[in-house]
Order: sequence, then C-alpha cells, then structure tokens
Amino acid sequence: MKWMKRQQLAGYLFVLPSIIGVTVFFLIPLLFSFGLAFTNWLGPTGRDLRFVGLTNFRRLLFDGIFWKAVRNNVFYLLHVPLSVGVGFLVASGLNRRVFFRNGLRASFFLPYLISAVAIGFSWMLLFHPTQGPINQLLVSLGVRNPPLWLASTKYAMPTVIIIATWQSMGFNMIIFLAVLQEVPRHLKEAAQIDGAKSWQVVRYVTLPYISPITFFLLVIGTMNAFKSFGMIQAVTGGGPVNSTLILPLYVYRTAFRYYEMGYASTIAIMLFVIIFLFTMLQWYGQRRWVYYD
Amino acid sequence: MTRNGKQNIGQMVLTLIMIAAALIMIIPLVWMISTSFKTQPEVFAYPVKWLPERPTWEAHRKVWLGALNFVKYYRNSLKIAVLGTVGAITFGSMAAYGFARVQFRGRNLLFGLYLLLMMVPPQILFVPKFIMFDWAGIYNTHWALFLPTMFTIIGVFYMRQHFLTLPKELTEAAIIDGAGHFTMFRKIFLPLAKPTIVTFAILDFTWAWNNYEDALVFLIDEDLYTVPLGLNNFLLEYSIDYPGMMAAATASIIPIVLVFLFGQRYIIEGLVSSSVKG
Repeated sequence: MKWMKRQQLAGYLFVLPSIIGVTVFFLIPLLFSFGLAFTNWLGPTGRDLRFVGLTNFRRLLFDGIFWKAVRNNVFYLLHVPLSVGVGFLVASGLNRRVFFRNGLRASFFLPYLISAVAIGFSWMLLFHPTQGPINQLLVSLGVRNPPLWLASTKYAMPTVIIIATWQSMGFNMIIFLAVLQEVPRHLKEAAQIDGAKSWQVVRYVTLPYISPITFFLLVIGTMNAFKSFGMIQAVTGGGPVNSTLILPLYVYRTAFRYYEMGYASTIAIMLFVIIFLFTMLQWYGQRRWVYYD
Repeated sequence: MTRNGKQNIGQMVLTLIMIAAALIMIIPLVWMISTSFKTQPEVFAYPVKWLPERPTWEAHRKVWLGALNFVKYYRNSLKIAVLGTVGAITFGSMAAYGFARVQFRGRNLLFGLYLLLMMVPPQILFVPKFIMFDWAGIYNTHWALFLPTMFTIIGVFYMRQHFLTLPKELTEAAIIDGAGHFTMFRKIFLPLAKPTIVTFAILDFTWAWNNYEDALVFLIDEDLYTVPLGLNNFLLEYSIDYPGMMAAATASIIPIVLVFLFGQRYIIEGLVSSSVKG
C-alpha cells in the first residue's frame, strides 16, 4: 500500500514540470483564445474590451478573405499526398541495391532540417520570373511564355506546393525506408511464386503492409499543412492578391497587422476546428484502405 | 549476359536515377552557397555558373561585419536554442519516463490531453501569449522565446514511444531491488535512452534555431533579433542584393548543416525508432 502511494507520487513528480509548462504555455493560452474570440479586442492600445457574443463568427461567414484562405489551405494540402508519394518512391529506390546509399539518403533528408526562411529565399531566386535559372532554362527549351511562378496569382500556389513538397519529403522518405525493410520477405516471395509481376507485388503486398505508416504520415502531414507559416510568409507573404494566403498567415495578419486581436482569435479557433475535422475525416476514412494485422 | 552482370547494370542505372533525384534536392542549397560568392551581375548569368568565375567574399563580409551584424543574431539564437533545448530535454525526458513507466492515477487522461494539444496550431496561441507575456513583462525579451521551447509536447510523445520499447523487466527487477524511480531513471534509463535523447536534443535545437514565427510575433528590438528575423530584415534592407541575401541565408544554415553532418546517424535512427516501432 505504501509502495503504491510512493509510486503514485513518483509519477506525479516526473510529469509535474512538463505539466506546469504545458498548462502555462499551451493550455491556458488555448482556453484564453476561446474567450477572446467573443470579444472585439483591438490590442493593447484599444482600451475597451467588450464581449460581442457571436458577432465575430457572423462576420467570419461573410468574410471573403477568410473563405479564400480556407480554399487556399485546402489546395495547399495537395503537397501532403505528393510528399508522401515521392517519399515512398525515393525510399523504394534506396531500398534496392544502389551505390552510395548513405550519401543519397542524407541529401534527400537534409532539406527537412533547413530553415524555411533561408531556403525560401533561395527558391525565390531560382523561380525569379524574368531572370531566374528555371525560366531561363524553360525559354531556352522553347517555352514562349514561361509561368511567372511566385509573381503570378495563378502559379504562386502551385509553386509554394512544389517548395513544400521538396522540404517535407525527406521525413516521409526516412520513415518509409525503415518500414520497407520490415516487409517480410516470405510474403513477397509467395506472391512471386504465384506469378505476380513486380508492380503487383508492390500493389498487393507492400502497400497494404505499410498502410498504417502511410496513414500516420498523411495525418501528421495534414496537421502540419494547417500550421505552416514560415516558408510562405518568407516567399510571398500570402500574395500576390492573397493567392497564397493560408489560414495561419491570415491569423497573423489580422492580429499583428490590423490589430484585430479578437477577430484573429475567432479565425484561429476555426482553424483548430478545421484541423480537428480533417483528422476525424481521415480517421474514419482509414478503414477503407488501412490494414492492421 | 550473366545474372550478376545484369544485376550490376540495374544497380548502376538505379544509382544514376537516384543521383539525379538527389541533385534536385540539393540544388537550392548549392545555388544558395554558390550565389553567395558571386557578384551581382553574375547571379543570373545563363547558363548558370555553379562555380563563380571570380569568387568574392564581399557578400559574406557584409553579412558578418556590416550594419546588420550576424554575430549578434547568432548570439541571440544560440542562447535561445541552447536554453530551450536543455529545458526541453530535461523536462521532456522526465515526463516521457513518467508517462511510459510509472503507474499513477489520471495518467492516460493527462497523456490524452497532450495528444489533443499536438493538434493545436501554434497560431492560435499568438494573441493570448502576446497578452500574457505583456502582463508578465517578458514580451520583447528572449524569455518569451526560450521558456515555451522548454516544454515540448512532440518530444514527450516521441520519447515516451521509445521508453515503451525498452524491456519491462528492467523496471520490475530494479523496483524489487528497492531502487526508487529517480535512481532508476538516472542510472538505468538515461544511459540506455542516450541515442533518443541526443536525437531530440538535435531536433529541438534545429526547431528552436529555425523558429521564425515566435520571434516575429514576440520580438521588436533589433538588438534581440534571432537569425531568421535577421535574415528577413536583411531582405527588407537590401532587397535586390542577391549575393548578400544568399550569404545571409548561408550563414543561417551553417550550424544546422554541421549538426546534421555529425549527428546524422542519431537523427535518422532516432526518428525511425520512435515513430515506427513501439
């Protein structure tokens, strides 16, 4: 009995520092922002903080920029399956007999660790609309009017998606590489003996076997896509004409450019709700394609 | 042709394809470094000169010794990243041990809360943290950056995963011997979990070093700027000085590239073992 009590106490002592920090820096601010979402607070200079009920939420319904940011954010999600897909292909390549495996693996993974601002600037020059090497290459290949990339409302988001895929792929690749090594040999060999072609082995043996990991990567990737900030803020700041404005940027802009801190909290709450809905959606969708043994 | 010969050719072809793909991955980095040694007119010369004809240190000199001096930003970033990482590893490994290895009431509920909080986008915390930091008098100080960094949720999650994979007998045997949890944590778990802890030290350091948004929101004085903010500032001040911009960007990634080169094995294996197994 006494031992049990000591055990309890030890448990609390171990988690206590972390719990205090998480409460102060995550939980309280989170609850606080739920409250702020119902106020008209305009930042430290605007004195009178009033509760305005659902006014902010009503405003949100008719805020064209908010809905544009939602649409943009969903479009931006496209980089998640791309990055998971490319990550899988690269991992499959590295999982075969290949020279320089470690060096290759390192070069595929490195971008994942690099500062989004630094690398964003490098991509900005590469994609420079008139003089950038990418467009000069396209022109020399005979493309008459190459896309203006980050400078065009039409191509800015696809460009951002390319950069995001490039940066997030390494993580997916590393995880796939580890799981691929665990696919049991006898399963693949059994399929081959039954006359399966190599793509059929991938389709009917490998993919189902690794599907729980694919699912995990898609869920994490989606969550991160709704939290992205640095790279887009650095390369376009949400422009041109809001074409790359995603929700995290809109929250920041509303709070710290327009100082509408109450309304910014409302948008942030909606962002949280959207992340939650997408996660649930994926959770329920998984039974259609994820296999657990 | 023999089976072996065919295999070798296949291996060569695959290697070539993979090298081509890897080149695409590192071109933006190579471009960054190469441009930082160029003169302005040479930047957009086509075909691209990957090796500048007359490499110059001019841009790097401007970054390190110019009006916006990176030495200052480096000092600030280093201070924040080191303090934040030390805290994150200390508190994080303790919490991970508690959640993975000690039975106590409310454990699952508390851990469930952590999982829920992992979904919270950091932007939702901007405004309330801004207000709280203002009240506490730490807005526009480094405290506003390294204090929250000391409490990592994702780190607790991953380290817990790893602690769960260590054999159960380890704890049971020691408990029967009368060793308390604190002795066990210090004498047995920390040494065993060293690779994981090193991994998270590296990752936390990287995240803290690259943290741009919190610095953007919570710092005003240029004297307090961290490297990503300084980098951004450089762009605002000298918008079309491309070699300068790339030299600043290069300066900002050096510590991360070094850490990666030395800790590669740890990072990769640590990430894998805590997210795949367990």
